[in-house]
Amino acid sequence: MAHERGCTIWFTGLSGAGKSTITEQLVPLLKERGCKVEVLDGDVVRTNLSKGLGFSKEDRDTNIRRIGFVCNLLTRNGVFAVSAAISPYKAIRNENRALIKDFVEVYVKASLETCIQRDVKGLYKKALAGEIKEFTGVSDPYEPPDNPEVICETEKETPQESALKIIRRLEELGYLVPASNNGDGYSGQEEEVVKQRLTDLGYL
Amino acid sequence: MIGNHRRKVLVVGLDCVPPELLFGQYRDELPHFNALMTAGLWGELESCHPPITVPAWSCMMASQDPGQLGIYGFRNRADYGYDKLSIATGNAVKAERVWDLLSRADKKVAVVGVPGTYPPRPVNGLMVSCFLTPSIANQYTHPAGLRDEIAGLVGEYMVDVKGFRTEDKDWLLRQIYEMTEKRFRVVRHFLRTKPWDFFMFVEMGTDRIHHGFWKFIDPGHRGYEPGNRHEQAIRDYYRYLDRELGELLAMIDQDTVVLVVSDHGAKKMDGGICINEWLLQNGYLALREPPRTPTAIDKCAVDWSKTLAWSEGGYYARLFLNVKGREPQGVIEARDYERLRDELAAKIAAIPDHQGRPLGTIVHKPQALYRATTNIPPDLLIYFGDLNWRSVGTLGTGAIHTFDNDTGPDDANHAQQGILILHDPAQPGGGREIKGMSLYDVAPTILHLLGQTPPPHMIGKIIT
Repeated sequence: MAHERGCTIWFTGLSGAGKSTITEQLVPLLKERGCKVEVLDGDVVRTNLSKGLGFSKEDRDTNIRRIGFVCNLLTRNGVFAVSAAISPYKAIRNENRALIKDFVEVYVKASLETCIQRDVKGLYKKALAGEIKEFTGVSDPYEPPDNPEVICETEKETPQESALKIIRRLEELGYLVPASNNGDGYSGQEEEVVKQRLTDLGYL
Repeated sequence: MIGNHRRKVLVVGLDCVPPELLFGQYRDELPHFNALMTAGLWGELESCHPPITVPAWSCMMASQDPGQLGIYGFRNRADYGYDKLSIATGNAVKAERVWDLLSRADKKVAVVGVPGTYPPRPVNGLMVSCFLTPSIANQYTHPAGLRDEIAGLVGEYMVDVKGFRTEDKDWLLRQIYEMTEKRFRVVRHFLRTKPWDFFMFVEMGTDRIHHGFWKFIDPGHRGYEPGNRHEQAIRDYYRYLDRELGELLAMIDQDTVVLVVSDHGAKKMDGGICINEWLLQNGYLALREPPRTPTAIDKCAVDWSKTLAWSEGGYYARLFLNVKGREPQGVIEARDYERLRDELAAKIAAIPDHQGRPLGTIVHKPQALYRATTNIPPDLLIYFGDLNWRSVGTLGTGAIHTFDNDTGPDDANHAQQGILILHDPAQPGGGREIKGMSLYDVAPTILHLLGQTPPPHMIGKIIT
């Protein structure tokens, strides 16, 4: 079933927090539901759309605005656009939220210590050694979101659990038709709970 | 004043509040409600058909009738099978409601507890969903982080009272107060800390206290006992609500228009009509095996091949015909449909009360009530005794009339007339009573107050 209504799934979190890993789990789940999906990975964007931009505040803002612009075009054409960049600054994220409106912010939460330990790309080692300047979390600030639609705590959840959490939230927000019920938004057990409540209240 | 970009609208929704109490018996004891009435406009607000929480609040905020929305009650037929009823959550509401339109117009909105808003949808602001939320373990807010903010504020937020069917009225009363107090605490917090142009919340405690305590206050109720210790329970609760309202009013400025609205009214419940029992006794419904004890129809062995009609219970009845080619084992030929529907409507309207007196039952055909009949409407809507009697769907009672609800004590039913108070500091109404308002007028009025043109599909008018 094709979806008429798209949305932007906007990941934000430190380098190594798990954005790309969750995205890898999430994309097939969305495609199973018949969604058109496009991923704008931070690294890939920087080698194409934002080639030549550096990591100053100004360049970072320009990069995120460009991603937001593309996500907006995709979203309004029914695509599920997934942005998996660090996106460290709150103000620009909120700017994109206001632009896109169908905007589901996913905070991929992991402590700096954990990310340093993981250091999949070896970037923290270089940043801590002073070889990379303006590195988020080390020499440049990261501003966590105040009210994300989803928080994935990657120190406590598996990537699969995080991806399912996002799917569930997309169902709740009406972007996806719930797979396990007849469209009312409930699992079978939840429907029984609400039915009993309505019966008790005299409505049924 | 159109174009006042600072203008804001606060809607105080009070489920089930009838004009007889707020505008009548209790008015003089409610200084804040009274002040809004005295300086503003007020009057009875006619509900939709049926006058039931779902679909009423969605009808109010979309300014569309239940047929247009395709929502005829809390549960609706998902297909023409005999047992597929789905709960009308927010997912069933396809029409845009006021907060959707205002969000698109870049207005900041805050929506708390408005029935028909679970699961919460993205809005330009915040949404706390309603009592259709299975539990607060579910994601019941937008944005998601709001759930933790609420928990930090009130601990366990109550989407509804627990265990409503109880004879322990003191316990029930405590539940209602706790729910209401927490809701108002959340509302005050959001009023103070969040940006908003449009703020709406709905308190359900008014409905729950009417259903739970009406017999204690109404001398006309068959269960009323003069001097009973709960005789002031509803009055006291309204006084408490008035104090809560006073706190809200102290927080808003002169640019804020206040609306107080209810989705329907309340009236005493005299008893119940066992509609399926009546259909059985009159040859319209057949069972393969009669139940030995009172049993819900979906648990009974209905012989569908010999059944012409069946019904759902609730505050009103929805009756369905078993039509050939439509229902799986339909028996009514298409050419006989209208004749049988008219026959049933006439016979049901003539069911007398337990003493043989006319009951005053009203029977509606959906096609005559609504501008459209989207999804699957019932074939008839029935208000027994003009809603002084409820519909009991249970079979096996052996009697048509009952004074014991099939699900436990319940003293009140819904009434067609709710209430509206509109106080606009910029345009004082001088306490004028407005006649002829309907629930469909609320959404266009809100949009107008916020400088928006109501879309043409809205069926209500702007209240002035």
